[in-house]
Amino acid sequence: MVAIPVPAARPTLIQRLDGAAIFYVFALPFAALTIVMGLWPIALSIQTSFTESFTALSPEPTFVGLENYREIFADPQFIRSINLTLLYTVLSVALNLTVALAYALFLNSPLLGRAAMIFKLCVFLPVITPDLAGYIVWKWMYNTDFGAINAGLNALGLPDFAGTSSQSTAMISLLIAELWYHVGFYVIIFLANLAMIDKSLIEAARMDATPPWRMFTRIILPQLRPAIMINSVYALIQFLKTFTVVVVITKGGPAGSTNFVSYHAYQMFDQAQYGKAAAMASTLFAGVMVLAFFVYWLNQRADWR
Amino acid sequence: MASLRRLKKLILAGTASSMIAASPAIAEELVVWHDLGDNGIAWFEALNELYQAENPDVTITSVSFPTDQWFGKVIAALNTNTAPDLIYNNYERVIRIENQTDKVADLSDLLAAQGDLPFLTESDKGVAMYDGKMIILPIQRVQMAFGARKSWLEAVGEDMPQTWDDVMRVAKKFQTEDPDGNGADDTFGMALQAARPRDLIHMLDLYTFGAGLRHTLIDPDGNIVIDQPEHKAVLTEFLKSFTDYGLVSPDTVNHSFGEMYQLIEGGRAGMFRVGDWNVKKWDGEDVLGGDFVIGEWPSHGDSENAVVIGGMRGVAVPENSPNKDIAMDFAAFMLSAEAQKASLENVGAAVRGDFDIEGFSERRLYFAKPEHDLNAYDFPESVHAFYPELEAEYHRVLLDAIVNPPDDWASFIDETAEAMRAKATELAG
Amino acid sequence: MRPNPVVKAAMIALASFISLLFVFPYLWMIAASFRDTEAILTAPLRLWPESFSLKAYRDILVLSGEPLSTYLINSLLITGASTVFTVLTSLMGAYALTRAPHLPGFGLLRVGFLLVIMYPYMLLVLPVYLVMFQLGLLGTTIGIILFLSVGPIQFFLFEQFFKSIPREVIEAARMDNASEMKILMRIVAPMSMPVVMTVILITVLLNWAQWFPVLVISRSTDTYTLPVALLSLNSELGVNFQGIMALATLTTLPVIIVYLLTQRRVMEGMISGAVKG
Repeated sequence: MVAIPVPAARPTLIQRLDGAAIFYVFALPFAALTIVMGLWPIALSIQTSFTESFTALSPEPTFVGLENYREIFADPQFIRSINLTLLYTVLSVALNLTVALAYALFLNSPLLGRAAMIFKLCVFLPVITPDLAGYIVWKWMYNTDFGAINAGLNALGLPDFAGTSSQSTAMISLLIAELWYHVGFYVIIFLANLAMIDKSLIEAARMDATPPWRMFTRIILPQLRPAIMINSVYALIQFLKTFTVVVVITKGGPAGSTNFVSYHAYQMFDQAQYGKAAAMASTLFAGVMVLAFFVYWLNQRADWR
Repeated sequence: MASLRRLKKLILAGTASSMIAASPAIAEELVVWHDLGDNGIAWFEALNELYQAENPDVTITSVSFPTDQWFGKVIAALNTNTAPDLIYNNYERVIRIENQTDKVADLSDLLAAQGDLPFLTESDKGVAMYDGKMIILPIQRVQMAFGARKSWLEAVGEDMPQTWDDVMRVAKKFQTEDPDGNGADDTFGMALQAARPRDLIHMLDLYTFGAGLRHTLIDPDGNIVIDQPEHKAVLTEFLKSFTDYGLVSPDTVNHSFGEMYQLIEGGRAGMFRVGDWNVKKWDGEDVLGGDFVIGEWPSHGDSENAVVIGGMRGVAVPENSPNKDIAMDFAAFMLSAEAQKASLENVGAAVRGDFDIEGFSERRLYFAKPEHDLNAYDFPESVHAFYPELEAEYHRVLLDAIVNPPDDWASFIDETAEAMRAKATELAG
Repeated sequence: MRPNPVVKAAMIALASFISLLFVFPYLWMIAASFRDTEAILTAPLRLWPESFSLKAYRDILVLSGEPLSTYLINSLLITGASTVFTVLTSLMGAYALTRAPHLPGFGLLRVGFLLVIMYPYMLLVLPVYLVMFQLGLLGTTIGIILFLSVGPIQFFLFEQFFKSIPREVIEAARMDNASEMKILMRIVAPMSMPVVMTVILITVLLNWAQWFPVLVISRSTDTYTLPVALLSLNSELGVNFQGIMALATLTTLPVIIVYLLTQRRVMEGMISGAVKG
C-alpha cells in the first residue's frame, strides 16, 4: 500500500508522539495518581515508622531506627490486638467461605428456577451499599435495650443475646454484621464458578450412583478451586484490615475485646503517636502481603483430588 | 437550576479555599474549631455579629466536629502548620493538644492586659495553667449536676435523692414500677457511660467530687488514693452500680456520650448527669420537655454533696494560627459581658453573670446563678503529664472488673491500688 | 427425576427467609426513620410504621450548621468527578500497560500499583493528610476527588478486557497505518463501551460509600459527604436516633435504586474484576 504524500502537512503532535511515546502519555495520569496518592504516602508512612513521634511531622524528624517497632512489640496491648486480629480473620474467612459456598450451592439448584435471581439480588445488596450506613443500622439493632435482635429472639422464645455489650459476644456480633455485609460477594463468585462446572462429570457420577457427599468432595469441590482461591485471598485481605465495623459499632471495646490492629493503629495516630502508628501500619502491611502470598501459594500447590 | 449554580459555586469555592490556604495573610476570616454542635455554631454566629460592630473587616467562622474528630484534626493541623485561628474546648482536652504538639500559645500576657477581671477566681486561672503556660482563656465553667425525671419521682412517690442509699432505693423503683407508665419493663435506674477511658473515669469523677472528695485516682503529690476508706466506699458503690445493683443498662460498658444520651433522651433512664450545656435541649418539647429536676450529687455517708465543676471550657490560640494577633484580640473579646451573655444564652454556661438573664427556665437558672455547693475537679493531667496513660490503664482494670465482677470488691480495690502505684512509678520514671 | 413440588416450595420458602434476613436491616432502617421514639421502644420489630412522620427528615435539614443539600451536592460532585477521573486514568493506564507491557518503567508501575492496593487502606489515608498538605490540597474537594481516583478493581477490569481483544484486530489496524490514538479512539473505544459502562457503575457505587478519606482530608464540614455527615451525627451533644436512620436512608436509597436498575451489570462487573485481581 502506498501512502499518498500530503503536501506541506506537518505531523501533528499526536503523530509525532506515536509509537512508544504515546503509551507513556496514556500511562502518565495513571502513574501520577499511583505515585502521588499511593506510593508517596506509603513511603512517608514507612519513613515515619523510623522517627520519633514528636518530631515526625516536623521538617527535620529525629530518626530512631527500630525503636518504634521495638516498643510496639513490647506493648502487650498491641500483641493482644494482633492475636485478636488473627483470630477474627481466621473465624471470618472460615465462616464467610462456608456460608457462601453452602448458600451458592443452594441457590444454584435448578429447583429455584427464575426466583434464584431475586435471592441473588438480596444477598448481594449489602455489598454495594455504603458500609457505614449498614453498620450504623446494625449497631442499633444490637442495642440490648430496644434493638430488633433481642426483640426478635424474645419473640421466638430464645434468650437475650448480649451483643456488643459483653466481651464474650462482641466479636461474634461483628462477625455476624460483617458476614451480612460481605458474604454476598463470595456467594456470587461461587455462583459464577458453579455455572462453569463441567456438567458431564456430574452426570457420569450420578450414573455411578455416587453418594452426595462423595460427589461434593470429589467432583464439585475440585472444580471450584478458582473461586475458593479468589475468595480466600480476598477474604483474608478483607478481614485482616477490618476497620469500619469497629469504628462504628464497638470502638475496640468492650475492654479491648475487638481492638484490632487497624483500629489500634488509627487510635495511635489520632493521639499523635505517629511513629508507633506507622510502625503498626507497616507491620500490618507486611502481614497482609505475606499471608496473601501464602494463601495464593497454598492454593496453587494444593492437591485437590 | 439553583442546584447547578450552587455546584459551580462549590467548585470555585474549592479552588478559592486552596488559594487562601496558600496565602493566609490576606484573609481576615478567623476560623474556630470546636465540638459544641449547633448550639456552638449559633453562639459563634452571635459573637461574629457582636465582634463585627467593632471590627467590620473580620469574619468569624466556626466549625463543629464530633469530639474525637476534633482531637485528631487539631493535633494533625497544629503539627503540620495548618492550624485554624482558634480552638475551643474543655481545658483537659487542650492540655492533651499542648502535650502532643507543644504549639498552644501562652495567653498569660493577654489575660494580664485585660486588667482586673473579678469574675475569674484564682482557681479558674490556676486551672488554665499548664507547664507554666496559660493555655486557655477560661470562657465557660462546666457545671455538672445530678438529674432525675420529675414525673418518675412522682410516679414512685419519692423525692430527689440526697444520698446514695436514696439513689439505690429510687433506682430499684424506677426499674420495677414502670415509672413512665407505658406498660413495658424497659426503664433503667441510671444512665452512665463506660466505653472509653474518659467516659468511665469521668463518671467516677462525678461520683467522687459530688461526694465532696478532692481526687479520683491520684493526688498532686503522686499518691494513689483509691484505697483510702472514703474513696474506697465511693468506688465500691460506683462499680456496683454496674454489677451487683444493676442500676444501668447492661449495654453501658459499650456506651459513650451518644448512647448515654440516647437512653436519657429516649426516656429510658431515671437518673443521670445533667451538664449545663444539656439543659437548653432537654427543656425542649420533643426531648424531655423540661420533665426533670436537678440538684447536687448524692452524698455518701456524712460527706458533703456538691455540683461538680467538671472543668473549664476555654479558647486557645495555636502558635501557628494564621492570624494570630486578631485571634488573640477575639479571644479576649470572648470575656466581654456581651459575649458572655451570648455564651449563656446559646450554650448554657459562662464565667460571668453580671448581666440580666430573662426568660430562663428554673433549670437553666440553677446553673446561671449558682447557689449550691460547687466542688471543682482537680485536673490531675495538669500536674502529672502521664495521667492520661495512667487513667487508660485504670479504665482497663475497672472495665475488666465490671465485665467479670470479682467476689470481693475490697480486695480488688486494694490490688488495683497497688497495681496503679506500680504503673504510676513506671510512667513517672 | 421430576422435581418434587413440596421440596421446591420448601426451598423457595427457605431462600425467601434468608433473603429477608439480608434485606431486614434496610427495612428496619427505613421504618425507624418514620416512627417516633416511643413506638420504636415498644415494638422494635415492627416494619410498617404506624404513622409516617417526617419529623426526622425535617430535623436533619441542617446538620452542623450546613444545609443537608451541601452534603448531598458534595456527595454527587465527589462521586461524579472521581468516577470520571478513575475511569479515564485506569482506562488509559490499563490500555498502555496491556498494549506495551515491556516498555521500560511499566513493569515497575504495575508492581507499584499492586503495592498500593495491598496497603491497609485506612492506614494509607493517614499519611495522605501530609501529602495533601504538601500539595496545598488539604480541605479541598479536588484533593478528595484525586485521592478517590485510584481504583484497583477498575484497573483490573479494563486490563482483563484489553487482554481479551484479539491481537489481530489491532495488528490489522496498524497495517493500515492508523496511529495509536486512532486505534484507541476508533477501534478499541467502541468495543469497550459495555465494559466502560460497567466500570462507571461500580465506581459510582464504591465512591459514594467512601467516608474515611473524606473525613481525613476535610478541614471543615464544607467538604463532608453524606456518609461522613452520618458518622458525625453521633456527638457529645446527644443523639437523634430517628435522624440517624433518616440520614442513613438518604445515604443508602440512591445506591439501592441504581443497583436495582442495573443489577446484572454490577454483579458481573464485580465478578470479572475480582477474578482478575
